[in-house]
Amino acid sequence: MNQTVAVIGTFQTDFKTHDPDHTFVEQAQIAAAGALKDANMTPDDIEAIVFSLAPTYFMGVADADRWAIDHIFGAGKPMVRVHTGGATGGSAVQAAYNLVRSGMYRSVMVVGAERIAETPDAQDVLNLIFDLFYERDMPLSTNTSVGLWASGYMARHGCTEEDLARVAVRARRNAMRNPHAHLKGIITVEDVMTSRMISTPLKLFDICPRSSGSAAMIVGNMDTAKRFRATPAFINGVASRTTTYWIGDRMTATTDADFTDFWLAGETARACYHQAGITDPLKQIQVAELYDPYTLMAPVQLERLGFCASGTALRLEREGYWDWQSGAVSVSPSGGTLCTNPIAVSGLVRAIDAANQVMGTAGEMQVRNVHNAVATAAGGIAQFYNCTVFGDEPRGH
Amino acid sequence: MSVYVVGIGLHPARVAEHGLRLEEMGWRTARAALDSAGATRRQIDSVTLGACDELDGRPISSMLMTAPAGGYGTDEIKVTDSGASAFALAYARFLSGESNFGLVVSWCKTSKTDVSSVMRLRGDPFYTRPLGIDDTVADALFAQAVADEFAVDEEEVSRRVAAAYRRAARNPRGMRHTTPSEEALGQSPLVALPLRAGQRAPFSDGAVALALASEQFLRTNPGCKPLARIAGVGWATDEYRLDRQRLRALNSARAAWNSALSQAGLQGASDLDCIELETPTGWHEAAYIRAFGIEQGDKVTPSGGSFSQNPTFCTGLINAAEAVLQASGRAGEVQRLGARWTAAHGCHGYAQQGNVVIVFESVGAVQ
Repeated sequence: MNQTVAVIGTFQTDFKTHDPDHTFVEQAQIAAAGALKDANMTPDDIEAIVFSLAPTYFMGVADADRWAIDHIFGAGKPMVRVHTGGATGGSAVQAAYNLVRSGMYRSVMVVGAERIAETPDAQDVLNLIFDLFYERDMPLSTNTSVGLWASGYMARHGCTEEDLARVAVRARRNAMRNPHAHLKGIITVEDVMTSRMISTPLKLFDICPRSSGSAAMIVGNMDTAKRFRATPAFINGVASRTTTYWIGDRMTATTDADFTDFWLAGETARACYHQAGITDPLKQIQVAELYDPYTLMAPVQLERLGFCASGTALRLEREGYWDWQSGAVSVSPSGGTLCTNPIAVSGLVRAIDAANQVMGTAGEMQVRNVHNAVATAAGGIAQFYNCTVFGDEPRGH
Repeated sequence: MSVYVVGIGLHPARVAEHGLRLEEMGWRTARAALDSAGATRRQIDSVTLGACDELDGRPISSMLMTAPAGGYGTDEIKVTDSGASAFALAYARFLSGESNFGLVVSWCKTSKTDVSSVMRLRGDPFYTRPLGIDDTVADALFAQAVADEFAVDEEEVSRRVAAAYRRAARNPRGMRHTTPSEEALGQSPLVALPLRAGQRAPFSDGAVALALASEQFLRTNPGCKPLARIAGVGWATDEYRLDRQRLRALNSARAAWNSALSQAGLQGASDLDCIELETPTGWHEAAYIRAFGIEQGDKVTPSGGSFSQNPTFCTGLINAAEAVLQASGRAGEVQRLGARWTAAHGCHGYAQQGNVVIVFESVGAVQ
């Protein structure tokens, strides 16, 4: 008999570029202790740990999760680290879900930390993710890859740079209510348009910051949830999918994984919704916490996740469809990854923000009457994608 | 619910695989596991990778390796602790009902990697790294601690290493290194007190893939025959510090062992017909057989284990493959007659900070 899986506690630090006051393991401990406190649990109440940590090249300590074991109260317990690039945090939540749902453990902590700014330029590390023989010399980077992606999307759907800019404006505005957000503020389309060009058509404000900080989530089975949380969120749907490494192979006429319209996200969402019993996402889901480190990635995901038709998300953005309380669905009320991107835990933070909305603990960010929230994460160059649906009741499978 | 191993792919053991790129090794191994299972790539619904960016020499190494390892249009996740750890998570994915047919794949091209440098990078930058502790020093500290704890001496270690090489020489899937004499092992250079060069298992290049299937998959795919049932998976982690108290206690190894055997309904080592141990050095074998309560005998690592092939990081998952081969009567020259209950052990991290134990039951016994 598979176990119902509930979110029992969450915690995230405030995020900023550098955190010179703490070491990596102290950051991890702050998150672990914070989640335990939120759940009213002690370390002995946790049976297993999933560590959320993407490339360690940013920090220069291999397997830094091992260094953190004592600090996160992990000694003597089963612990595993997962790493799927930017999708890591979402993968970590889903791994913890598996460990509980399988009946192997009654309570699992997901915890991770990021100090990406330890390296002088994270792009230097990220440039190494591309294939040595074919793609690295082009030269591809995360910025140029998404720049090309955005150009393709705009050409296909007739959108403008100003349309993309509105995504950043909404995200920064939403982040004003998020005490943990790295970037926030009231900005205008003109501010985005006049920010420094990084990779056509993406300007500086179209792109996420490099953030340091930590986060943790505790999940457990129903018995554990009843003991520790009056109103938990339930993980009702999980799915992840991967596609080819080769971006060019996603851009041919016969591809089954179209890059421009991010078909991978659609396939993943369908599988996730099927589990969660979501048949009409716009009616059933009130909050979408999207992994959107670039403005482009919000509209393309909204379209693939079934909130609107292909090519319409940016037009609807203009009409306020994705606004915090007044929109058809509240898109990244936290400000999303555009405002805060600690890569190792970005997907985890998306999940935390979504679960908090369901539990009614999102503070000033709280959206009214949230019954279901979806969180996403993407890794590689949109090669890995995962999707998790949180609900206020156990639903679906 | 039961989960079964239905296919195995093992890359031919090599000191250095010069003829194939890493992704070609991964593809061939995953393909071999699928063929062994009588299944196709399109039937895969999950891929669990055990891989290490630092050993692979690229950030997010799974970007390159996922598709060759079977992950295209499927669920995919990468575990960075060890191949055996990936197996543990994959098992949970099956038990949770999220997967019905999937691969666990792990690899390492040690010939392309300065392993010691990677291990030094594991040191925290404040205390451990300035000491220059790498895998050699960590293994030596472990050897010191277990020598003290269990009264293990050099003579015993040399005897164990020579015996492991002799067993490995019969393993058709291994390196078939020349077996050194106990005298030569005892006189090999000291690399870090009390560890001698000859007592360490030599690195090799390798890859391994196991195909797992649920009962439901077997019911709907009668052509897919189980090789062994997964009866228990235990795993645990020790403290980070390398002090003698931690090293001699072997807490995570004991916890993983007890958990796996308990899940399998076994009382102790005497209930097992063979146990494939991961032993980076002869000191490790001496320690683990004591910690696990294994009486000396032929049941210890019939494949030769790490002394047969040692693509560090995935050696534990290779042990799992060997244990499945034993449980299914397919281990060839190293087959233990009538093996029903078999176990695989894997260790990882600084001085074996993490341990995984997997117990398999032969399928003939449960049908």
